[in-house]
Amino acid sequence: MFPLDSPWNISFAGCGFLGIYHIGVASCLVERAPFLVQNAKHIYGASAGALTATALVTGVCLGDAGASIIEVAKEARKRFLGPMHPSFNLVKIVRHMLRRTLPADCIDLANGRLGISLTRVSDGENVLVSLFNSKEELVQACVCSAFIPVYCGLIPPTLQGVRYVDGGISDNLPQYELKNTITVSPFSGESDICPTDTSTNIHEVRFTNTSIQFTLTNLYRVSRALFPPDPMVMKAMCKQGYKDALHFLEKNGLLNMNGPLRDRPRLANEEESEAGDEEECENSESEDKLQAKEKAVITYESPTFDEHIIEYLPPTLHKALLEACMERRSLAQSLGNLLPFRMASAMMLPYTLPLESALSLSVRLLEWLPDIQEDVGWIREQSIKILHRILNHASRNFSQRVSARLFCKVELHNYQSLPSRASSTSLFPNWVNGSGSKVQDVIVRLDQYKKQLLSGVLCINMDLQGSFKTGCASPDNSRMSSLPQQDFNVPKGFLTDPRAGKSGQTLTRSKSFW
Amino acid sequence: MDPAATTAPLQNDCETELESKKLGSNSVWSWWPSWRPTSMSLLKTTESKILACIQNDLWARFVTLPNQDKIWTLTLTNKVVRKSAEQGPKTPLVMVHGFGGGVGLWIRNLDALSRSRPVYAFDLLGFGRSSRPYFPSDAIKAEEQFVDSIEQWRKSVGLESMILLGHSLGGYLATSYAIQYPSRVSHLILVDPWGFPERPQAQTQTQDGQSSEMAKRPSPPRWVKAIAAVFSLFNPLAVIRAAGPWGPGLVNRFRPDFKRKFEDLFDDDTMTQYIYHCNAQTPSGEVGFRAMSESLGWAKRPMLQRVSLLPPSMPVTMLYGARSWVSSSSGDLMAELRKEAHTKVMLIDDASHHVYADQPEEFNKVVNDICKSAD
Repeated sequence: MFPLDSPWNISFAGCGFLGIYHIGVASCLVERAPFLVQNAKHIYGASAGALTATALVTGVCLGDAGASIIEVAKEARKRFLGPMHPSFNLVKIVRHMLRRTLPADCIDLANGRLGISLTRVSDGENVLVSLFNSKEELVQACVCSAFIPVYCGLIPPTLQGVRYVDGGISDNLPQYELKNTITVSPFSGESDICPTDTSTNIHEVRFTNTSIQFTLTNLYRVSRALFPPDPMVMKAMCKQGYKDALHFLEKNGLLNMNGPLRDRPRLANEEESEAGDEEECENSESEDKLQAKEKAVITYESPTFDEHIIEYLPPTLHKALLEACMERRSLAQSLGNLLPFRMASAMMLPYTLPLESALSLSVRLLEWLPDIQEDVGWIREQSIKILHRILNHASRNFSQRVSARLFCKVELHNYQSLPSRASSTSLFPNWVNGSGSKVQDVIVRLDQYKKQLLSGVLCINMDLQGSFKTGCASPDNSRMSSLPQQDFNVPKGFLTDPRAGKSGQTLTRSKSFW
Repeated sequence: MDPAATTAPLQNDCETELESKKLGSNSVWSWWPSWRPTSMSLLKTTESKILACIQNDLWARFVTLPNQDKIWTLTLTNKVVRKSAEQGPKTPLVMVHGFGGGVGLWIRNLDALSRSRPVYAFDLLGFGRSSRPYFPSDAIKAEEQFVDSIEQWRKSVGLESMILLGHSLGGYLATSYAIQYPSRVSHLILVDPWGFPERPQAQTQTQDGQSSEMAKRPSPPRWVKAIAAVFSLFNPLAVIRAAGPWGPGLVNRFRPDFKRKFEDLFDDDTMTQYIYHCNAQTPSGEVGFRAMSESLGWAKRPMLQRVSLLPPSMPVTMLYGARSWVSSSSGDLMAELRKEAHTKVMLIDDASHHVYADQPEEFNKVVNDICKSAD
């Protein structure tokens, strides 16, 4: 029994062309348990699920929606390469269909209730959009959610100034973790409403939250998500969705229920308005519904239950789907389906493809014109970002590799600056005194280096330099006397100013030699 | 028999450490940097992180079978219960994990279940930290090897009778064990068991209603079958091993549910790491499983054909997750097949295939009630 005492959500998984399954589920929910849809707190969706969720929230006739999906699929199947053919522009078709079907007041219905899962391009994070300012924005959100990179195009669309791509990439089943979310997925697995394959496979994969069992049928379904199957198969999927949803309602005791008592008045109102909305869409349904209900109750438990119920797909939906399936039986189409024709078209492909590509490319370019400035700006921004990242990475790598050498060089630099300081001790005594210990440190360390690794020539230079330093600094530096100086007791007269300059030069040379 | 259970395997205790070392470096190539970032000692570390959550008395050791295979065994006892055990010994509960799992997956159940009786959990032969021997590719022989190892294990541990609980593949093996050694099982609990239904024969549809439905249904095209055939050439989890250094990430990416199920115990990747280390080792139990299954998950020897061999007197309880893809219909069928015997089918709401981890409280309560009734 599904707990109805707390708010619940419905979540539709992203699934490409298998979205027709969602239509079946949605029509069953609307028909058999309208309160479940009407009183749902949120209806979420990703990708194709977002389209169904939008249709469900805005009260679009589901038969139309289903027919639209099949039409798109047919459009995709018409060409030899299917949806990969350059002249097939999915984004354009989806946008056009949404604009056509969505009612004008859709945002009032959708705001706050509809949640569309999107993936932000800049950081790959998931975003659930549920506030829309205009119908156009809602359409754009759906387009963004269905935009599979590369498959649909290369430049991701924008929504409210931010670039988004397919929500399925980051979260294919929004809010599935909430206990009271009814999850709908066309892949058999552990979702609330999903087909049950007669398999006992214990392997399961989670594709961004959608549970997909590892079965033969699922493998087929996954392959069909982007490359649509035959319209008849899609119709069967729709029926499957209806059946599975019915099974879910049956199992949870939600069938023939009018919802919790406290919701009744509200529900009644909403139902009326709903009925008004869909009057032209489902006027012939009521008597069939009754019959179906009876059948459902009577034949439950018997093995033929499913088959009987299947016949009772909502008539409007059934009709729409049938019509959508039928169209392809035109003479030209069936002729084109004959083997010689298909072979001919396949063989002509190398010649026709460039032509068609060029044509569709120019059409796309024309359509792109209004957005071209924005998109080019975005591309430039992205490429600059990528370049920056590469440069950063490279420089970091470089600096890591040479850091050891640099460290030694810095030491030498310090050291090289010594002579000048030492010669001007009378001018800046305090300053030199302050750095005196540091200088001494450097000398001691260099002495160690010298012993360990420097070549003979350099060794001599260092030696001279060291002795020069101490000789010069000791007279006016009381602190230095406290430091160990046994090594540096060279006679003062041995070192003179010109020598200091000379040794400085040699050191510079030795550095470059190193 | 409780004292016997705790004294018999004492001699095996010292082998705990040796074993993991031996298994870790048994090949000539041990100096070569491993392609897979896993080893028995890594598995041990991850497991000990998990087992640290246990509050009751825990005794973990390898139990050596007569054929030198070693079975990693946990024994949990409650001090208070031990004292009161003199009044009447409680039948111990033995838990058998599913495919690709290990004792660590029971972490949310061990404590609660061991409050009233000793609980034994072990890694199946070829899984987890147990030995990974060669498995024959024949279904009957592979099953026999599994079941034999359970029986040998029981002997080594010194249990007279037990309440046997099996999940998934463990449920299949537990049933098979109960058929062969009915006197040792006082109650059989099957949690979402694998391998019960028979593979349906699509061709033998006679009713016209059904056949028309079958025609409408998209039957997988040839290339899907071809891919499936290629898949079945490999061990089920070969992908994880082939992925090498990306394996742990792969488990994280495609099974985030394991992390989520245990997130109140571990907020890091401990659980998915455990799953990874359990399965990234040399496949052995996996080979056995593959031998027993055919074409993506059907059992070669479906258990429903054999449940009638269970003695009618043996009580059986089947627990199913309501949301699991394992259909509870096979449970109903089993209840039908064993008409006169005590068979109960229970559904646990809002639980997936891993019932025990999704709804631990309810699961523990149900199992505890069953155990009480079995005493």
